[in-house]
Amino acid sequence: MGRSQRADPAGLAGSARALTQQRPLGDRIFQALALAAGLLVLAILVLIAVATTSQSTSWFSHEGITGIFTTTWDPAHNKFGVLTFLYGTVVTAVIAVILSVPVSVAIALLLTEVLSYRWARPIVYVIDLLAVVPSVVWGLWGLIVFAPWAQRTIYAPVAGAVKGVPILGNLFGPGTGGVVSGPSFFTAGVILAFMITPIVTSLSREVIATVPVIDREGAYALGATRWEMIRGVVFPHSQGGIVGAVLLGLGRAMGETIAAALVIGSIPAITSHLFSTGYNMPAVIVNQFGESSGVFRSALLGIGVLLFVLTIIVNLIARGIVARSMARQRGA
Amino acid sequence: MQPRGRKQVTIVGGIAALAVAVSLSACSSSPSHPSGASSPSAAALSGTLNGSGSTFQTTFQQAAISQFKTVQPGMTVNYGGGGSGKGRSDLASGVVNFAGSDSPIPSTDASLFAGKTILYFPVVIGPITMSYNLQGVSNLKLDPTVIANIFQGNITSWNNPAITALNPGVSLPSTPITLAVRSDSSGTTANFSLFLQTAEPSAWKLGSSSTISWPHSARAAQGNSGVAQVIKSTPGAIGYVDYADAKASGLTYASVKNSSGNFIAPSTAGASASAAGVTVNPDLTFHAVWGSGAQAYPITYQSWVLVNATQPSANDAKMLQAYIGYLLGDGQKLLPSLNYAALPASIDQMAKAQLSKIKG
Amino acid sequence: MATAVTKQQQVDLREPRSWRSAKSRIMTVLMVIAFVVVIIPLGFVLYTVVSKGASAITGRFLTGDIPFNVAPVTVGGIWPAIVGTLLITALCTVIAVPIGILAAIYVNEYGGNRLLTRIIRFMADVMTGVPSIIMGLFIFSIWVIHFGFSGLAGALALGCLMLPIVIRSTEEMLKLVPDVLREASYALGASKARVTATVVLPAAMSGITSGVLLAVARVSGETAPLVFTILGGTTTPNYNVFTGANNALSMLIFQNAESPYTGAQGRAWGAALTLIVIALITLVVARLVTSRVARLSQ
Repeated sequence: MGRSQRADPAGLAGSARALTQQRPLGDRIFQALALAAGLLVLAILVLIAVATTSQSTSWFSHEGITGIFTTTWDPAHNKFGVLTFLYGTVVTAVIAVILSVPVSVAIALLLTEVLSYRWARPIVYVIDLLAVVPSVVWGLWGLIVFAPWAQRTIYAPVAGAVKGVPILGNLFGPGTGGVVSGPSFFTAGVILAFMITPIVTSLSREVIATVPVIDREGAYALGATRWEMIRGVVFPHSQGGIVGAVLLGLGRAMGETIAAALVIGSIPAITSHLFSTGYNMPAVIVNQFGESSGVFRSALLGIGVLLFVLTIIVNLIARGIVARSMARQRGA
Repeated sequence: MQPRGRKQVTIVGGIAALAVAVSLSACSSSPSHPSGASSPSAAALSGTLNGSGSTFQTTFQQAAISQFKTVQPGMTVNYGGGGSGKGRSDLASGVVNFAGSDSPIPSTDASLFAGKTILYFPVVIGPITMSYNLQGVSNLKLDPTVIANIFQGNITSWNNPAITALNPGVSLPSTPITLAVRSDSSGTTANFSLFLQTAEPSAWKLGSSSTISWPHSARAAQGNSGVAQVIKSTPGAIGYVDYADAKASGLTYASVKNSSGNFIAPSTAGASASAAGVTVNPDLTFHAVWGSGAQAYPITYQSWVLVNATQPSANDAKMLQAYIGYLLGDGQKLLPSLNYAALPASIDQMAKAQLSKIKG
Repeated sequence: MATAVTKQQQVDLREPRSWRSAKSRIMTVLMVIAFVVVIIPLGFVLYTVVSKGASAITGRFLTGDIPFNVAPVTVGGIWPAIVGTLLITALCTVIAVPIGILAAIYVNEYGGNRLLTRIIRFMADVMTGVPSIIMGLFIFSIWVIHFGFSGLAGALALGCLMLPIVIRSTEEMLKLVPDVLREASYALGASKARVTATVVLPAAMSGITSGVLLAVARVSGETAPLVFTILGGTTTPNYNVFTGANNALSMLIFQNAESPYTGAQGRAWGAALTLIVIALITLVVARLVTSRVARLSQ
């Protein structure tokens, strides 16, 4: 993005003051402040990474790198393999994003394209209401109300229906021992989806609202229906912003602690059956940290470090995909 | 670690003490107000004590703190819970004045406390119940072997011969057994597994720790009350729940066979009996599980308040002596109504004698 | 317009008009369904909270001190937790929002395509995924150990949680401000700082406000970072946010909801209702104020 270079008055003679080659003091202070803020953010993150990693070294030396790929997590016998938690985080985050993104974008489109400002305003507040529910309340509601209801009315019938069917049965069928559990990977994914919807919706809405009216009207002038205008004008324009919103939601889905801990079942397991209990990284940290000590504690912090690394990898992949699709688009 | 602004705390503490005293006297169901004749050295102290750690102690600490305000209105005590491990590490880092812990400091943590002398003050004892949900069965009897096999997933239905052998005359259904366990690490789990390991060293293979790798089919829940909820809502469930929480949730619990061969139901008396029959180390650490005594309830555990023997100031030392002295003295009278067991007299005496070792 | 339409997305005018408009209508219906799908569980959650918590709310409940957990819900109240939440959330907003907005301005307006800028942008993304408990542990190890528990430590931990959200959403909004506005201002002789502060920021203001409000809403409901930074367990209000242990509604909810005592559970749900109401009022007021300010400045 060469925006700042193009329009930077400090470079060319953009104003009479620039003839003196001296930018005003206020300008320089502002820039310095902005730079300081950016560096502060970097410093904080580096500090977090360093502090967490330094406290997890005894786990790494105990288990070695293979600890990341072992599944046995048994503190009573000093075994700290974390693969099950990695699996759980990935699965619940994927479910949350798959469920939440279409819904969030749909609502954002509803608010900007379909509804007039008068009707959209109260709905914005309703989405805000979704955002102000504390995570512990989502977790408690999920545990007390949603999980038992879902197990009875959704999971059990679905599991019974797809038992034996090749792929669906593996995903939605009963787990080992016929277990179909209320608190499960799927429930955690659903609750996380509710939690990330407000931010994806809100950000997408803001992004979609900046599509130039000219482009919209141009599409209509050519005879496009509303949906065709959305596909042809809105999506290409707001693609980058929506992906940014989705990444924010994904980050939250991977790091959400209390709600996940309450509804995921908290029994470590790697299984394709989404209706069985599982565990994920933030949940195990918050559940077991209070009583941990020594290598156990350092293992939990090591899980924190792994979550870091996982977030970095996911963000790199996401950026790669976005960059490639933008390049393809510009070349068309 | 003294917070700045002690004066503000004193003023706020004084006003709050007045407010609490007024509101407490308004609902007069609280235990008798100590007349002040309890502690001879009733000099008024002021300041703040912060503590964290065992959640088993939380109910007791909260009740004691609110009553202690009438003894020392100038002092503010905050107890944050958070788990025994957190309490111990907070104490090692020096951010709290005292810690609550359900287990002695493990060897893995010894390096954190290098160079410091930590004093153990046992303050509360409590039974762990084997709560269950079986319609029509109200006085189930279990022994350590059967419990060990149930919780390892070897016994899977209620009419298993091992269980029926212990309960002659009771018709047990063929309902499958659902295990209710803790999802969060806890001292209750640590002491329950310690009991199984002590009583059945060969049959119990899952070890003893605040986190146990339970069979995959177990249902995990947060906190004692979470486990209680699972038990209440699942016919055929069995789990380990603190006595106080089991009573508050209205659960049915089993009688457990103790080392003398008697089947004892969980009660505060049984817990005290188990603790009385236990060898106490000179530093006041001990394990109340599987205590000897004909009336002892074998699954009993204990919790300590840990402090540094050397305090940064004389006021800190005095405040700790006053508060811990209260916990060991009049505070013990609060325990029965909360469904916890008081310390046996001998242990209480030893703990009180240790108070003078806190120096500032 | 041509650049915005790729091969796959071209309008196919060979399709009958009725089918195309039917498709469009179906999509509209799907959008409405999406909204309903989200509203229903929200309704249930609110119903649960209101039905369990409303009965506890009385004047005494909102202003009384926290009693011990065995006490019935008619004794004491949650005022210390309300004070804690309000003070700590306000402080953390004051700390995190200026830093976040400035960092986003740097990345978007001044940073160009330098490596440092790309790293900062990337790291802000990564920071959104850090679990809240790790933030709490981080502040514990660098602040609480030296200065003790305090509302300030809690605000720092929550601020670290807010920061990446503020940066990311602000940056997205700034990116969408058309260059035309900037270039026009430069042409009039304004300095870069002036352009940013008086033209770019106001243009992006509604989006930035959305991001900030959502971050505040999220942060007011967090428990784990506070456990390590404010201690909790206090029974009387602590109005000094810079020293001394403090309490918060989110911590109170979490600790009490797990208690078997009905009094404690009643307090938990009452506190949950209070927290939701406070947060909602804050959001509504903030949106009204910023939209009015935006309208006035135009």
